[in-house]
Formats: sequence, C-alpha cells, structure tokens
Amino acid sequence: MATIGRETVCTRAHVAVAGSLDAYSSDAKEHSLITEFEVPSEMGNERLVMDRVVNAVADSISGETLERLKTAVAEAAMNAIEHGNKGRSEIPISVQVLDSDGGIRVRITDRGGGPAQTETDTPDLEAKLAGLQDPRGWGLFLIKNMVDEMHISKDGEFHTIELVVRPEGTA
Amino acid sequence: MPELSVSMEVRKVSDEASVIDIKGDLTAACEDVLMDAYSQATGDRTRALILNFNELEYMNSGGIGLLVTLLVRANRQKQRLSAVGLNDHYQQIFELTRLNEAMDIHDSESEALAGAGITT
Repeated sequence: MATIGRETVCTRAHVAVAGSLDAYSSDAKEHSLITEFEVPSEMGNERLVMDRVVNAVADSISGETLERLKTAVAEAAMNAIEHGNKGRSEIPISVQVLDSDGGIRVRITDRGGGPAQTETDTPDLEAKLAGLQDPRGWGLFLIKNMVDEMHISKDGEFHTIELVVRPEGTA
Repeated sequence: MPELSVSMEVRKVSDEASVIDIKGDLTAACEDVLMDAYSQATGDRTRALILNFNELEYMNSGGIGLLVTLLVRANRQKQRLSAVGLNDHYQQIFELTRLNEAMDIHDSESEALAGAGITT
C-alpha cells in the first residue's frame, strides 16, 4: 500500500496542524468545481495557468485578494512544471479551481510525488546579498505569504499543492 | 525556452545616475537583458540606479532573484538602487522579501534622484 505523506502549512496569519487533505474538506461545505484543466509542462506555461484561473474566478474575487491568488498560482504552477514534471511537455500539470465557502481553492497536481527533496532554506535577503544563499529560491516563500491556507500532499506518484484564498474580512 | 516579454531601456540622467525602464515581464529568463542594461547604465561615476517599474506587467520569484543579483553587483560598485512605479501588490512583495530595505522605494524619478543626492 502506498504511503501517503501529508504536510500542511498555513500562511500569513496562522498555522493549521496537518491532518489530511480530506480532513480539511470534511470540515467545510462541499466544494463546487468551477473549472479544471491541464497544461503541458513547458516553461512559461504558468502564465497560462494564472490567466485561466483568473478568468474562472473573476466574478468571485477581486482587488488585492485576486492579485495574491495570481502570484501564488503562478509560482505553484511554475514549481509543478519545473520541479514536479521536470519541464517535460508531454507530462501535463492538472489544475482544479473550486468554490470554497466564499473563498477560492486551487489545486495544482504534478508527477513529483516521490521522496521529498531536501528542505530548502527560508530565503533571507541579507544572506543572499552576502553570498551565503542562492539569489533565487523565493517561490515557496511567496506562495506561503500570498494565501490563507496552503496544503501539500503526495502519494508516491502525484504531488498536489492546494491554495486557499478568502476575500479580505472573511474568516 | 519561453519567449521573452520584456524590454529594458537605459536613460543616463547624469554622470552619476541612470534609469532602467523595465517594460513587460520580469522573470528569470530576463537575466541577460537586465545585466546588459545594468552594464549600459553603469559608468565610472555612476552611484545611483533607478529601476522604473511603471510599465511592469508581471514579476515572479525568478524576477525577484534577478533583482537580488543586481543588488549584489550594485553593492560591489557602491551604487544605490532605487525603485519607482511599483504598484501596491509588488510593493507588498518588496516588503515581504525585504527588498524595500535594500533599495529605496519612491513615487517618482525626481524623488528617487533627490533621495540619492543627485542634482540634474
């Protein structure tokens, strides 16, 4: 039986203890699917993912919440394309956009469900300017700080990141 | 390799200050373009570089990494980097990454030049 490893990180304001992706879903009303699609894992296609998600949620969220979601989705898609699917265009990433109790939930899945990579350092600008860290490595940091919740799950084959944003002023 | 959607123009305001106008998308793919612009913008007496983001359409973590690389080079040359034209969202990102501590953020070029002590 495949081992399902779960880690959950909540961002911006608070931290949620990992249960399982299902545990989060079971506490909420059923999520309704707004759209789902696949894109080839080609560098630059994160913009396509971002644009399609924006089109799907334009009636639901706007302003700064939308801008935060755009950044998080683009970064997550870029990670899925480059790291999860190794930029292999024949392997698509899949995207689901769901309505989530007044907010928006976006799930991005790639084939990077294998053993976890070495945990990267939290990006520190001073360290980077001093040459102690690579200048890059801001992607996951941005995602964590742009969304209200972030959940990661993997099952040996697939890796899914789930991003949740809620309009400002909602729980 | 994705098609580049960026253009950068260099304007030398004085012997001591230059502006790099960044138009389009700032991503990791822009490295050569940005570093070429920096080379053009830098002279023997250059001590202030202003990055004009008024026509920036999109910036991702790769673009932020490039700005860090640029800061490393500018710091080596004892040049001060400033940014103008950032919208609210990207100002927030600058604050999150603390780029706002490493470079000055201004509302206009004239403010940026004044902040750097440059008279034109």
